[in-house]
Amino acid sequence: MKDLLRVTLLWLPIRGETAKVTTGNPAIHGPIRKSWLVEHNNWVFLLPTVLFFVWYQVYPIVRVVWISFTDYKYLTNDPANWVGFDNYAEALSDPLMWDSLGRAAYFTAMFLPGTIIIPLLLAVLIHGVQNQRLATVYRVILLIPAVIPSTLVFVLWKWMYNYQIGPINHFLVEVTGWFTYRNAPQWLGGTDLTLPSVAIMEVWWGLGYHSVFFLAGLAAIPKDLPEAARIDGANEWQVFRHIILPRLQPIMLILVILRFGTSMGVIDEYLIFGGFNRESPTYTWTIFMYDQAFKTGLWRQGLAAAIGMVGSLVMMAFVSWLIYIFRSRD
Amino acid sequence: MRKEKELIYQQQLRQDLLDRKMDRREFISKTLTAGLGLAGVGVISNFGNFAHAQSRPLTPTFYQWIEDLHPGIPQVNSRFPDVNYQIAPVEGFGIERFVAEAKKGDSTWDVYVGQTPFVEMTAMIEADVIEPWDNYIPKDVIDDIIPSIREECTINGKMYGWPFLLDVIGTGWHAGIVKEAGLPDDAPATWQDYLSRADQVVESGAAQFGATFDAHGWRSLAPFTHSLSSDVYTSEGLFDFTGDAAIEALMLMKNIMGKSHPDILLAGATDGGVNGTPDEVAFAAQRVGYYNKYFNAPLRMAQYWDNPKDLRMGPLPKFAGGEGSTVFWTTGAALFKHGKNKEKAAEYVKALTYDQQIWKDSIAGTETAHPGQLPPYKSLYAGWKASQPDWLPDFVDLVRGQLDQAKAITNHLFGLQQFIIGQPVWEAYLKGEEKNPRVAMQNVVDAVQAEMKRG
Repeated sequence: MKDLLRVTLLWLPIRGETAKVTTGNPAIHGPIRKSWLVEHNNWVFLLPTVLFFVWYQVYPIVRVVWISFTDYKYLTNDPANWVGFDNYAEALSDPLMWDSLGRAAYFTAMFLPGTIIIPLLLAVLIHGVQNQRLATVYRVILLIPAVIPSTLVFVLWKWMYNYQIGPINHFLVEVTGWFTYRNAPQWLGGTDLTLPSVAIMEVWWGLGYHSVFFLAGLAAIPKDLPEAARIDGANEWQVFRHIILPRLQPIMLILVILRFGTSMGVIDEYLIFGGFNRESPTYTWTIFMYDQAFKTGLWRQGLAAAIGMVGSLVMMAFVSWLIYIFRSRD
Repeated sequence: MRKEKELIYQQQLRQDLLDRKMDRREFISKTLTAGLGLAGVGVISNFGNFAHAQSRPLTPTFYQWIEDLHPGIPQVNSRFPDVNYQIAPVEGFGIERFVAEAKKGDSTWDVYVGQTPFVEMTAMIEADVIEPWDNYIPKDVIDDIIPSIREECTINGKMYGWPFLLDVIGTGWHAGIVKEAGLPDDAPATWQDYLSRADQVVESGAAQFGATFDAHGWRSLAPFTHSLSSDVYTSEGLFDFTGDAAIEALMLMKNIMGKSHPDILLAGATDGGVNGTPDEVAFAAQRVGYYNKYFNAPLRMAQYWDNPKDLRMGPLPKFAGGEGSTVFWTTGAALFKHGKNKEKAAEYVKALTYDQQIWKDSIAGTETAHPGQLPPYKSLYAGWKASQPDWLPDFVDLVRGQLDQAKAITNHLFGLQQFIIGQPVWEAYLKGEEKNPRVAMQNVVDAVQAEMKRG
């Protein structure tokens, strides 16, 4: 089939070049001219992927960038006008832009260490379990939160954190008597505790999923490396610090970058736990963008796109820095 | 010659129809008037939209909660054998799908049942998604709608909403708690009375908290303001946050907060913080005596009580010398401009909104739901007054009486958003971060105006 295609392509002279390759009988067909397609046939095979990539990945980004330079408002049928950097100037001069970015960064600062360090420690502990059946049981238990649908997770934690009827406050008020229903902690709904509460939920939710990454990394470390270190007199901490940790660094890099992006860009949780109260810690740049694009006024999607681009650029700068921090030092 | 004139006239009418200079009803009546009855029908049946309308059944789409709260809807549907009943993709009042389709001159659905005028009607008009009902709604139905509700559904003299489910902000109370506190089992007539009774509830130990409200402005600030005066909208249609009535209402909210659960200002648990609010939790947990919200809320929450029959409901209290008004809104039907089957849609919505079983279920409750939403038609109330059904609770008549004075929040593109933008700003006063309520409210105005300048 491939040969047939190749022969067919050869019979498609484009620029009249003389073929160096002879296929078929020259006596019958005369000198075969090599087609442009032959020389570039790699591109022909790549074309579907390239087209898909451009259509699916590049076009939406280019479109958003273009929108960010216009006054596009979704609820009007007026054509969008080019406004240059006006939307960027408006976004950057709005204190809400910086406050909302700061809130997202605050959440990330709580979430990211929790989502790397705790799963790493758990993975190391489980990796050390000698009884394979028990190790499997631990893995399954850890993975349970990861397979619970998001809706159920949100319902569960909203109930857990509920000020009046949640089990956490029930424990603090009814069981321990440390608080009353007049001064018990207000976990969700826009208080200072909201972002830490959401971070705890997220860490719990991703615990098993992230641990599996580290378990895979641990399994890939040759057993003789830590054994040799131990024979040379290294203690367990030294083995972990100098043998295990450097070899898990590529996995940490992937997790940090993936989770940095998702934690800075959280939106569902904030919509569910905080809404559109602009003073709420959950009103981050993603909510600001959504608010402008789909809720407020004539839905100013030009400004919303600029807010999104500013947020994305800030994130890209941080990701570059993180890649530098976690670069391989071998 | 006559035939030729008929043909020219027919062509002109047809062109007007295609150019949407007239609707099909007008087209048919004109062709009939001109003695072109059959010819007119012939033309209209060749008109693309009409042909399309015949090719798809009536397709209404409902906001999910309406189906959840009103189990009688399938019975109405059964009277329209071909109806293609659907649930709308409008979680959190999102109308983006409707707008996207309208931009392409198309609509998957014919009618949307779930539109709340002050929330989204102006936006739907701005985006050219909906058209007025005026050409389709029968005159007797228009005349039957309570005037204040008709006003709510009208913009620039055109009726863009067909009202269905009426929500009115009123007072609910727990008779068991109130009696235990030694208080009369009736609605407090004034806010002063309301506050002193709330104090009595706490002091007597009958409940942990005296009173509660929903902190969202359209559910507390606006109705409390209306109870003093409903003339509180600026010339451009925005709520007058700095008016005396609004200031009084804000101070009242702070007073009630002193007798309420500490989480009263927190965001709700569902629908972007709008629903599942702390007041509902407190009332459901029987921790509070008095409650101000639309009746749907106390009715739903009382289902969790030891004895749901302890629920009582009445009108909103008044300020001394106040107007005694409240806020209401309807959730009704919007007619998609690019939808089909418009006459059929009107028939369907009429059947839906006059269905006695739906109203009985709504007001008296069923095994699955008790929304307490009321009808928008004078004739239904009059009928019940003339011959009171045994299932009709007293509060319906009380609320009907208040409806003549009640007023909806004025329609505006920022009709809802002004309260969302303003809430954290006026809460600075409620939390004690700002001492002067006027300063807090001026900050609200500044915040809303700044947002409006963006367009």
